[in-house]
Amino acid sequence: MSRGNPTSSSLTPTDDALIAAIRSGDERALAHLYRLHWPMVSHFVLQNSGSEDDAQDVYQEGVMVFYEKVRDGSLELSCQIKTYLYAVCRRLWLKRLTSKSRFGVRLLDDEEHGPYLNTGAEEDVLAAEEQDRRFATMSEALNHLGEPCRSLLEGFYLLDKSMQDLTSEFGYTNADNAKNQKYKCLVRLKKLFFAHYKEEPI
Amino acid sequence: MMTEADYYALFEAYSHGELAGPARTSLEARLSADPDFALRYADFTELTGTLRAYRQRQQTRQQLRGIHAAMLAAEAPAEVSLPATGLTHTVNPMLRISRTERKLREFWSGHRATVGVAASVAVMAVFATLLGLDIWRNSKVQPSLYGYNVMRREINNLKKSQTDIKRKINRIDDSVVPTPPTSNFSGTGFALTSEGYIVTSYHVIQGADSLLIEGKNHQRYHAEPVYSDIKHDLAILRITDKKFTGFGRLPYAVKSGQADLGERVFTLGYPREDVVYGEGSLSARSGFEGDTAFYQVSIPVNPGNSGGPLLDERGNLIGVVSGRQNDAQSAAFATKSSYLVRLVDSLAATAKATAPYHLPRYGQLAGSGRPQQLKKLQDYVFVVKVYEKD
Repeated sequence: MSRGNPTSSSLTPTDDALIAAIRSGDERALAHLYRLHWPMVSHFVLQNSGSEDDAQDVYQEGVMVFYEKVRDGSLELSCQIKTYLYAVCRRLWLKRLTSKSRFGVRLLDDEEHGPYLNTGAEEDVLAAEEQDRRFATMSEALNHLGEPCRSLLEGFYLLDKSMQDLTSEFGYTNADNAKNQKYKCLVRLKKLFFAHYKEEPI
Repeated sequence: MMTEADYYALFEAYSHGELAGPARTSLEARLSADPDFALRYADFTELTGTLRAYRQRQQTRQQLRGIHAAMLAAEAPAEVSLPATGLTHTVNPMLRISRTERKLREFWSGHRATVGVAASVAVMAVFATLLGLDIWRNSKVQPSLYGYNVMRREINNLKKSQTDIKRKINRIDDSVVPTPPTSNFSGTGFALTSEGYIVTSYHVIQGADSLLIEGKNHQRYHAEPVYSDIKHDLAILRITDKKFTGFGRLPYAVKSGQADLGERVFTLGYPREDVVYGEGSLSARSGFEGDTAFYQVSIPVNPGNSGGPLLDERGNLIGVVSGRQNDAQSAAFATKSSYLVRLVDSLAATAKATAPYHLPRYGQLAGSGRPQQLKKLQDYVFVVKVYEKD
């Protein structure tokens, strides 16, 4: 990582190049993007009765939305990355403030980064929330699964361990046994996951 | 019969492209033919897809945390090296603030609204209190009948010390006089005739339930109002005590004409427990707002002076002190004695024979010095104590 001197890295400063680099999986590009817009969002959150930690949470959430869309290739940017990020973080912080506050919330807006409307951020945030809910349900389902299914599936899907490693770790006689066990677990997980996920109102 | 787990094995192999030709085509055929089977496959892909995305999300979060930590770590040395380079300001002051200041800023941005509301409430409370006190105080001061401040004295605040003193005096005298009820107001009055008529201002006895006349030597008489002239602020009282025999010859005469501008005048009164002398000159032959029934005199008067006699150099009674104007320098007002004479004359016409009015015609004070005049006068000037119904 070229953290010491981000501006002199091989990246061109244009947004397109940055997006292309992030899509190709360049971690430096992401770090550069992150550093570039952090002051703006941090300033915004601090201005609107948030703390440093709040700012960090909101910003990481916002960058996550952006990053996932870039990786999906589903990002349709009609404005600068800066404006898009501002809009997303603004929306996220507004949501948090509203849930925290008993009173109506009015934000002090930074005119410099407007117009933050019609950036598509609204829909993207909603989609991200839907995704969050799905992940929360998944995490819940995994917790309800019980051992050793949970460890097995987490090991395979989340920690990216190979079937051989898992076979020896869980003491199965051969990889096929482990695989069969994994499929059984997957079936149980499916039942738990869809039971929880579908019954919640959308 | 295949179990669901077996299907999952099949699906996984299929989605990884590990399935060989014939098995693959038969599976694809079944997917397009059997909707239940297709649904099962969709569930499987969603489940594994979610699991993978979940992992992706966790990794990204981890990565972003790392970036953030790295960013903070990159900033930290800059903060330390700042004094060494001698820079007085930085490119982005938001990121280069001290820990204390950051805390303060966080506090301020977090509690700004609350602090604002608290401050405005405090300010409003202060002003409301001040305003309320002012209104309350103003409502306590009743405007007098005469437009200016009448000078009768409220005694409530002095009541306690006064009773204490009296009790002490009683003890010294070793007499068994019961403690009299304390008066609400007091003014000054003076003898009008030797038979026991006393003059004071009407506003002194206004609203009185009973009256007590108290002389210089603490002799006390009960009195009752005989006549009141509200318009000219005059009241005539009569002493009702049986043992009262008369004042003897009065040392001053009541002047029936008008006094001249610039005459030296003086008064005696009881603004305190003791008799107080006040001196000045007659500054106008009309009173408040041009009222010709009054003189304006330049004598400093205080609450309690009301009803006191106004005398000229030769010791003739020329007026009755009534009050003062607050917004003018030493402008006191006194009812003209001519109105008193006229009042007495009209009363004498209808008076009963038992209580005739004999106004003193000749004064004895002319020619003597002021201290001698006052010595003689003192015996005929009284405190008028007013008791209101509770």
